[in-house]
Amino acid sequence: MRGQVILRRVLATVPLMAGIAVVVFVIMRLIPGDPVDIIIGQGAATSQDVERVRQELHLDRPLPEQLLLFLADLSRGDLGDSFVKRKPVSQILLEALPATIELALAAMVVALVVAIPLGILSAVRQSSFLDRLSMAGAFLGISMPAFWLGLVAILLFSVRLGWFPTSGRTGFLFFLEPVTGFVLVDSILARNWSALIDALRHLVLPALTLGAGLMAIIARVMRASMVEVLREPYITVAHSKGLAPRVVVWRHALHNALIPTITVVGLQTGVLLGGNMIVETIFSWPGMGRVVVDAIFSRDYPLIQGAVMLYTLIFVLANLTVDILYTYLNPRIQL
Amino acid sequence: MRLIGPIKPIVIVLTALLLSAALLIPAGAQTQTLTFVLDVEAFRKLEAEAIAQDLRAVGATVEVRVWERTALTDRIRAGERQAYMQDWGSAYFDPFDLGVPKLKTKDRGNFSFYSNPEVDRLLEAGVTGTDEARRREAYFKVQDIIFQEAPWIFGYFRDDTHGAASVVENWEPAMDSRINLHDVRLARGSVIVVALNTNSLVSLDPAMHRDRKSETVIRNMFDGLVTRTTRDRVVPQLAESWRQTSPTTYEFTLRRGPTFHNGDPVTADDVVFTFERILKGDAAGLGQRKGLLGPLQKVEKVNETTVRFTLEQPFPVFLQAIVHFQIVPMKYVQQVGDRAFAEKPIGAGPFRFVSGTLDSQIVLQRYDKYYGGSPALPPVGPAAVAGAVFRMMPEPATRVAALKAGEVHIIEDVPIDLLADLERDPKASVKTTQGTRVFLVELNTARPPFNNVKVRQAVNYAVNWDAILKNVYRGHARRLATAFLPSGFGYNANLKPYPYDPARARALLREAGYAVR
Repeated sequence: MRGQVILRRVLATVPLMAGIAVVVFVIMRLIPGDPVDIIIGQGAATSQDVERVRQELHLDRPLPEQLLLFLADLSRGDLGDSFVKRKPVSQILLEALPATIELALAAMVVALVVAIPLGILSAVRQSSFLDRLSMAGAFLGISMPAFWLGLVAILLFSVRLGWFPTSGRTGFLFFLEPVTGFVLVDSILARNWSALIDALRHLVLPALTLGAGLMAIIARVMRASMVEVLREPYITVAHSKGLAPRVVVWRHALHNALIPTITVVGLQTGVLLGGNMIVETIFSWPGMGRVVVDAIFSRDYPLIQGAVMLYTLIFVLANLTVDILYTYLNPRIQL
Repeated sequence: MRLIGPIKPIVIVLTALLLSAALLIPAGAQTQTLTFVLDVEAFRKLEAEAIAQDLRAVGATVEVRVWERTALTDRIRAGERQAYMQDWGSAYFDPFDLGVPKLKTKDRGNFSFYSNPEVDRLLEAGVTGTDEARRREAYFKVQDIIFQEAPWIFGYFRDDTHGAASVVENWEPAMDSRINLHDVRLARGSVIVVALNTNSLVSLDPAMHRDRKSETVIRNMFDGLVTRTTRDRVVPQLAESWRQTSPTTYEFTLRRGPTFHNGDPVTADDVVFTFERILKGDAAGLGQRKGLLGPLQKVEKVNETTVRFTLEQPFPVFLQAIVHFQIVPMKYVQQVGDRAFAEKPIGAGPFRFVSGTLDSQIVLQRYDKYYGGSPALPPVGPAAVAGAVFRMMPEPATRVAALKAGEVHIIEDVPIDLLADLERDPKASVKTTQGTRVFLVELNTARPPFNNVKVRQAVNYAVNWDAILKNVYRGHARRLATAFLPSGFGYNANLKPYPYDPARARALLREAGYAVR
């Protein structure tokens, strides 16, 4: 029963992705900028060369015809080839996805591990020193731009202290057979523990930088929703029944307080999985943020279309996951 | 009392007439100022503001507008913009890919819509001429004409500034941006790490890119018939010698001994295959570098060690052009296909591909059976270092941090504001070389106000370039009189740039009918 609902929602994403792809398709071709001009760049080329490139990319055809070609390819599951990289779009996105997922998950784990206990403690001990300190910290975390924080982290932890590498996903001394594309998983599969440690060391600074802002948001939401829940009558009843404060918080209040929090977490995970160009550039992290921003600046239409469709899917799945989690936290909520 | 009656309507009518006169009669030519918008990309905004200030000082009204590069190029090509900051790179050390595309009528890079049949004729003579002295003469004439007609506010070129750790020995940056690791030694360590200024390489297939960073990595794995010194001289590499048997044919004799990383010898078949692949390939695919070969028509094997190139017309920069084409192993490529070849490339260069991804790092290992390389670029023999790694690091601050942390040995493209830090650091040094990119302000000569040569000359006199370059580039930029680089063929070193002369600028503007300050 429930499985059917989930399946229906996932399948409903397909027409949604196609619709969004069409919108992006049309908009990209209407904004100024000629992909052929960018591909040829400043290199020597005759006007025949330019025309041939335009023909090969189907950019000389009228817009409705280009759209039909695109939809025909799409119905076969073919996202086309990138104009600039001359490789299938699906391959480019799939290659960039593991790095993005690793960083996003690491940032989210870091943020949750810090923010949820902190939010709970702040709510339970409202207006205490801890509460004020952690909310001030949250304020700082939201205000610090990732660009600045990342560079400061590199200067301090890499250059000064030498604890972590400055950038990249792995060092070059370890050669891992790419089985899943996830460096952490592959190194465990290969039982290459030094490669695993190396990959983790490379992950720390970017995850902290990306997680700082998240940490702040989640802590604030956690605290606010916990404060609300703790005011509910049923909590008073639990206290008056003689239950220990810790039991009241963890067993009775927490699961309700988590509902607004996981909404935020779900949305933020969706955003993170799209990649973050700034953090990826600073830490030379080969993620999707850089790929997509580059694609936009070079008007790489197929790659932009493919990426937007992928983002749609990611968001739908993230929201679906959150909805499923709701039902576990509060059985009265139906999927 | 009786006078007020007729006076009131008279006063009203006179006021109405005066008001309409003031509104309807256009401002006289004496009060019109030179007004235009200066378009710029974000990274040169400060410079644009400084130029606008200089122009305002002589009475022009200038607005600086910041654009995204692609959108700006689009509007420029449509002829809608008036003045725009531009830059154009050159790879041939010759006006072929600089002066020609930017100044020839309707050519690819001609955003000023400048059109002068005499200049077109002279440029054509320079590009296809066979007599070096006559070619130089033609280019000198072009520079004289362009200087007078001033389709641009002529600008400058910069130094390429790179950083190297002090343990790196025998490395100098090359003017064509190639980072050649064959001759480099490390005082400590056996693997040299280079940080490249890019998000991602485009391809490891020598035919499938139009990108200097990809070319840098490729030229450590693949050798070509010829290569270049760190300046502009073409020297033999896989070819032992060459001769030009006619104005349109060249014959190259291959060295005996070079092998590809899989042990196969480098033969004339490989050379023919390499070039045919490009000549016959898709314009957006394998043939994307075809334009760089100019009028190359056919490549044929004469015997096991000799290859003949036939051109449609004389092309004096042909040798400079083929520096950028590396030889690929025919048997291997045909065996595994183009895609697998790009993923596991095999060439005849000093380093072999080990592993890596285009957007992260490329790991190379010394090829011990390397034939030695160009005799003109000592030392000759296998590479000095055991391995090389190219890491993609698009953020300049991160590159500098990595150099200081000892994680990398060479970093590309250090911004001006970070140079002082490196110069002070005892474990690092700054290496510079002349850049091959021209920076300028291009003027739309097809519409007002810059369709008037006096106005164009005026703005050239009005800008204080020395002050701007000193402040923005701290001595790492030099003015250009026109569109020709000192490192390129046919440069007239005796032609001096427009001097900073606001009085002359004002005089010219007045002559053109504008109000000045």
